[in-house]
Amino acid sequence: MKKRFFVVAILLVALSAFIFAQGKGESKPKTDGPVKIEMWYNATQTEVGPLPNDWIGYKILKDRFNIELEASTIPSNPQDQDMKIQAASAADALPDFFVANREVWLRLAKNGMLADVTDLYSKMPNRTSIMFDQGAIDFTTIDGRSYGFATPSIIARNEGLLIRKDWLDRLGLEIPKTTEELLEVMRAFTFNDPDGNGKHDTWGYGAFIEATTYEAYPGRRFEPLLGAFGVEGTWNMTKANFGLQIRKPEFFDYMKYMKTIIGEGLIDPNWMAYKKDDFRAAWKQGKFGIMREQNAAYSAQNNYAPFDSNFPEGEWVIVEAPIGPKGKQSIGPEVRGLRIWAISDKAAAAGKAEKIAEMFEWMSHGEGYLLCGWGQEGVNYTLDKDGIPVSMPGPIGFDGAVGQTYIQLRSMAFNYSSDTELLSRYPVYTTEVSKKQMSALWALREMQGKKWTPSMGADSMPVPSTDLKTFYEQGLAEFFTGKRALTEANWKAFIAEFDRIGGLAWEKAGLEYATANNYLN
Amino acid sequence: MKRSLINDIKRQKYIYLMIFIPLVFYTVFKYIPLWNAQIAFRNFKSVRYGILNSPFVGLDNFKEFVTSYYFWNLIRNTLMYSFGKLLVSLPAAIILALAIYECRRSVLRKLVQTLAYLPHFLSWVIMYGILLSLFAPGDGIINDLLKSLGKKPIDFLTNSTTFPWLVIFSDAWKEMGWSAIIFIAALMGIDVALFEAAMVEGASSWQRVRYITLPAIRPVVVIVLLLKIGTIMDAGFNQIFMLYSPAVYNVADIIDTWVYRQGLLDGRFGLATAAGLFKGVIGMILIFTSNFLSKKYTDNSLF
Repeated sequence: MKKRFFVVAILLVALSAFIFAQGKGESKPKTDGPVKIEMWYNATQTEVGPLPNDWIGYKILKDRFNIELEASTIPSNPQDQDMKIQAASAADALPDFFVANREVWLRLAKNGMLADVTDLYSKMPNRTSIMFDQGAIDFTTIDGRSYGFATPSIIARNEGLLIRKDWLDRLGLEIPKTTEELLEVMRAFTFNDPDGNGKHDTWGYGAFIEATTYEAYPGRRFEPLLGAFGVEGTWNMTKANFGLQIRKPEFFDYMKYMKTIIGEGLIDPNWMAYKKDDFRAAWKQGKFGIMREQNAAYSAQNNYAPFDSNFPEGEWVIVEAPIGPKGKQSIGPEVRGLRIWAISDKAAAAGKAEKIAEMFEWMSHGEGYLLCGWGQEGVNYTLDKDGIPVSMPGPIGFDGAVGQTYIQLRSMAFNYSSDTELLSRYPVYTTEVSKKQMSALWALREMQGKKWTPSMGADSMPVPSTDLKTFYEQGLAEFFTGKRALTEANWKAFIAEFDRIGGLAWEKAGLEYATANNYLN
Repeated sequence: MKRSLINDIKRQKYIYLMIFIPLVFYTVFKYIPLWNAQIAFRNFKSVRYGILNSPFVGLDNFKEFVTSYYFWNLIRNTLMYSFGKLLVSLPAAIILALAIYECRRSVLRKLVQTLAYLPHFLSWVIMYGILLSLFAPGDGIINDLLKSLGKKPIDFLTNSTTFPWLVIFSDAWKEMGWSAIIFIAALMGIDVALFEAAMVEGASSWQRVRYITLPAIRPVVVIVLLLKIGTIMDAGFNQIFMLYSPAVYNVADIIDTWVYRQGLLDGRFGLATAAGLFKGVIGMILIFTSNFLSKKYTDNSLF
């Protein structure tokens, strides 16, 4: 009896594992009742809760489109986001409709986990006319078929180089125009007590590590400095000088400049340990006087308020990127900033693709667009005389603590460039303490007017292997921290080793890809 | 025999229920997934296609792992942190347990015990915030102190000399109180008559610790040591993942952080599983060897 019990138990365990190992069976389409769509979306506001269950859009989708939407947020941190999607893909548990970065999307598409959506564009005429030009469609096209919808995710050129004007004035300095002048200002901000508190508690430059596919380590916050040496972004996307920026001789000049800044202690020494929130708290606490920051993060009412309260006399101004020794200048590489919405092939097999397209189209105009973008009229917003949505007063307004949860799907609706969207998101306001008039839209327009480097396609270029990326980042970090001495010989040895373990092959793959996709300018 | 087992189960049903629950847990979450370890020998993409249907690649994933650019660096760092933590945390926990046991003021004893346990319940995310406040080069408390003494600030978190120490000692601080529980329990089991006799004979406090307390808890120390040796290839993913950055990759990257990047970020599940299996096999060899040696030389063993 005992023996038999154990034999049966072992067989059951083995059988269950075997069934699992054989793969899951195809899910069958539902024939009656609403079509259930599981969706993973980027929250518009990560600081507030998810889309509430009483969001009226759920009811509209069910009553009018026969769609039962189950919306869940995905982590805001890109690494966590990738991890969640990769894990879901491995477990064959991808949702029906989800947002992914291009690197992960490409892997899923190659593994056959995504639906071919080529024929769905025609079912979304409004969204297609607004968002899906040939460049956007190419972004998600493999061998002539599209496997996702590339929608705008950011406002173009929405970051800028900022400097503390009140510190410049107090120290009798002019706005720096060149890298040498910038260095002098950094020295003055670090050693000449620009805030006048008698302590050495300020630094010239402030930053944190924020690397992306197209803005490799140390990343975005240093782009204006990289740009002064003509090596902004991961790639040089010009026909004449295509290649990985790190392999250009000018990159070494940039490294020397950085070493001067770090060596003389002109950068907030926490820059390597800061996360984004620490960095943002630091400039609001007056720790440094020069930074690259995003328009709304700098000047939207809630974001500027702590700085305004701490430093009523404080003033940041948006300046041109510094000009380098060879006359180069750039705030950074400009890409389209597309986000991919993909349909899992399981969802398509279950007959859900057209329903998803219907829902996506509804969100792009009229009622659905307004509901996703601003909430309910009369509840979360009202229209001003020019037809611009204005937040209702109190927490239920679309920019209030409660109202913000009702616009968590805004990124599915917005195209991030229309005047209505911009004027509504970034109204003119008066700061509470210093009584200054500000608008994140003014900041945006100013930032957009500065010099950027067109780098279309740089965000879809091939990515390096994990070990090569580690080597790249570790190498630069070790030169910055002084673990490796920055000499020409050491730099050449580093680049030679980088080439040997795959750097050269990565560049070659990049050239083939950029040429094939007509990205070189 | 058969009847007696059934009778025994009937009689002690609650005890058997208590055994049954962890048995199910281990079967479902530890033994059934072992089947999936074969991913290490396959080019696995997704459960969709099934593990058995994924192409068999033999030892390719293992070869790729052991010939990868950072293999020896990963092994060195993993062992460095495991042994470092063992050498620092285990004695620290024993000393703390002895101190708590020897403390005669019950209020103080409870206070110390509670304060020592508390950090165990903090996640490494919170610990990172605390460590940043303490060790940040710009405005960390320790660096403020160094600056006030006229010294140059040290970037503990991005300096490859200080980083390993920070990892080892912050782990000891966080886990010392929790690890001490088992030793305190062992100490509670010592016959007080031994201490009384020693005191009558004129033994000092140190002599009582040396000749009674330490020998009495030796079997527990050996068991704990053996268990820790079995997980020697686990150097503490959560901690390192929160604290590391490219500037300290050379001394911070361990097998688990590499597996995370390869497996979950790059989607190379076969390679990541191979590295995990490699760790498991090494751990098993170590635990059998140390168990054998311990049995032979100290008469204490796990099995």
